[in-house]
Amino acid sequence: MIQHLATGFAEAIVDTDGDKALQLVRQALAAGVSPEQVVFEVVVPCMDHLCGLAASDGGLSVAQHFLAAQISSDVVDAMLPRFRRAPQVAGRVVIGTAVGDFHALGKRIVSGCLSAHMIEVTDLGMNVPAERFVEQALARDAQVIAVSSMMVHTARGEHGCRGVRRILRERRLEQQLKVVVGGAPYRFDERLFEVVEADAWARSAIEAVPVVVRLVGEAGGP
Amino acid sequence: MNALARLHAAMEGTPADRIPVFCNLLDQGARLLGIGPREYYASGEHVAEAQLRMREKYGYDNLWGLFYVGREAEFFGCREMVYAEDGPPNVGHMVIRTVEDVPRLEPPADVLSHPAFEQPRKCFDILRREAGGRFPICAYVTATMTLPVLLMGMERWLPLLLTGPRTLRDELLAKCHDFFVSQVRACRAAGADVIVYSNPFGSTDLVPMSFFREQSLPWIERDIEAAGRAGLVYYGGAARVNPVIETVLERTRVEAFYLSPLDDVAEGRARIAGRALCCAALNDIPMIDWAPAQVEQEVKRLVEAGKPGGRFLFGTLLMPLAIPEVNIRALVAAACRYGALDA
Ligand code: B12
Repeated sequence: MIQHLATGFAEAIVDTDGDKALQLVRQALAAGVSPEQVVFEVVVPCMDHLCGLAASDGGLSVAQHFLAAQISSDVVDAMLPRFRRAPQVAGRVVIGTAVGDFHALGKRIVSGCLSAHMIEVTDLGMNVPAERFVEQALARDAQVIAVSSMMVHTARGEHGCRGVRRILRERRLEQQLKVVVGGAPYRFDERLFEVVEADAWARSAIEAVPVVVRLVGEAGGP
Repeated sequence: MNALARLHAAMEGTPADRIPVFCNLLDQGARLLGIGPREYYASGEHVAEAQLRMREKYGYDNLWGLFYVGREAEFFGCREMVYAEDGPPNVGHMVIRTVEDVPRLEPPADVLSHPAFEQPRKCFDILRREAGGRFPICAYVTATMTLPVLLMGMERWLPLLLTGPRTLRDELLAKCHDFFVSQVRACRAAGADVIVYSNPFGSTDLVPMSFFREQSLPWIERDIEAAGRAGLVYYGGAARVNPVIETVLERTRVEAFYLSPLDDVAEGRARIAGRALCCAALNDIPMIDWAPAQVEQEVKRLVEAGKPGGRFLFGTLLMPLAIPEVNIRALVAAACRYGALDA
């Protein structure tokens, strides 16, 4: 039953058929599958499965990433209040777009994918100054700062990821706070994340999940 | 042989001295004139002057009538552009906030006579006067399915396109299509030889193949049919086009494809199979940090992959401002050298 559901759910997402994915979840719940099972045996493995597809040759399209993120995080949000015990978070992340960058979609998709993996995400919005990234990460007890950029100049700018790094260095926070970057320019230049002094990057939102999980661990765990 | 004749030779597969070399410099014009981007882009004279001087300075083949992509939103009432000293302008005011705004959206009746076309038209006029018939003058026109991004942002358009109310979605697309056709006509009337038809939604990087076939393709057919194929180049906005080349060719008989740097050039050329011009794009984002010798190597690799069999053009994407001048010079020099043909 669960196996069948997990396969069907992943297929629906690959086909960008959101209605079908949600209908499968509703049917499963009606048939006695628990909310915990929906999250840990359907949604999370589905994201892992998609991660394989995303990393494969053709990859997954932006539309597929978008729907996967939206549906999965919606399902998880709906299931969480019905859990018997409060679930453990797998990590805490603050995310935003770099200064001068008003492209919100990438960040939104990444947030959805992380939430679907039980990672708590605080969205700081667009055009976020470096100081604010650090301040908010400390205030929320986050392990990871995620900076999204759609353009080269906002990725490389002194007030984006580089600014975050400078503050972390000055304040000796580099052990406890890791920085991940992503967005279009990084896909065209696989070494750009080093140029801007990030700890890591990911090509797509789904592939960001294991990267963030690793960084959470390196920062000492949730 | 002049640059326009060289382009025509490449399009038709007839002999030429070398392959055409396109270098797409936009924001660099403001730096050349020593003024800020806001002042620069306010004047068609500025843009034309810088386009002519940059071409002369580096020696590549093409000229641009494009200022920045977000300009198209100004025809729909966009009131704010976000200018940056170190990057391209971006749309700062979304004309469509919710789907309810769609019925109120008014595409201009005629682009050519619209105030938002006044400065681009001046630019085209000067380019035509100074270089017409010798250097290809390029225009950039956003495809019907991509245009809504400039009016409402990607984060609103993608959900509307994928899951939103069909009638409003189709109404918006129909309005964008009318504007698209009017803009192509205006650019041609103003003197454009080349129309770069930009459509990331015509790439399977943005949408899955099934969606491409069912939704994107019919609009692409309609766009190209209405605009006419003359000088029209199919461009995915730097998203990959290889997977759709055969289908687009069969359905539209478009005469040129501009690949993404993420497309394999030899594969693209094989898919086109001599039926259209194959334009390869250098990946100009890492080029910021390359040494000139690396630029040369990369140009050589692309030209060697694309040149055999002919009907090939070498180009760049919209080059970031941070690319050092020596690298632009290295690029043009290498492209001309490795692109030499024995005519
Ligand atoms: C679609 C597109 C357009 C569309 C819509 C743009 C928009 N969103 O507003 C149109 C045609 C209108 C357009 C216009 C322009 N574009 Co454009 N565009 C693209 C394209 C093809 C895809 C970008 C996109 O929207 N992707 C969808 C989002 C969701 O994907 P994404 O940001 O990559 O995010 C994914 C991953 O990167 C990752 N991710 C994102 N953020 C983060 C963060 C973290 C922490 C992690 C781990 C992962 C992660 O997850 C996401 C989902 O998988 C890219 C090229 C490409 N193949 O990527 C160029 C590209 C982004 N554009 C570019 C440029 C320059 C422009 C213009 C500025 C051109 C100009 N001079 O006017 C204009 C700006 C228009 C405006 N806003 O005013 C450049 C930017 C690089 C540069 N030179 O600075 C690119 C890279 C093309 C290129 N190589 O030249 N563009």
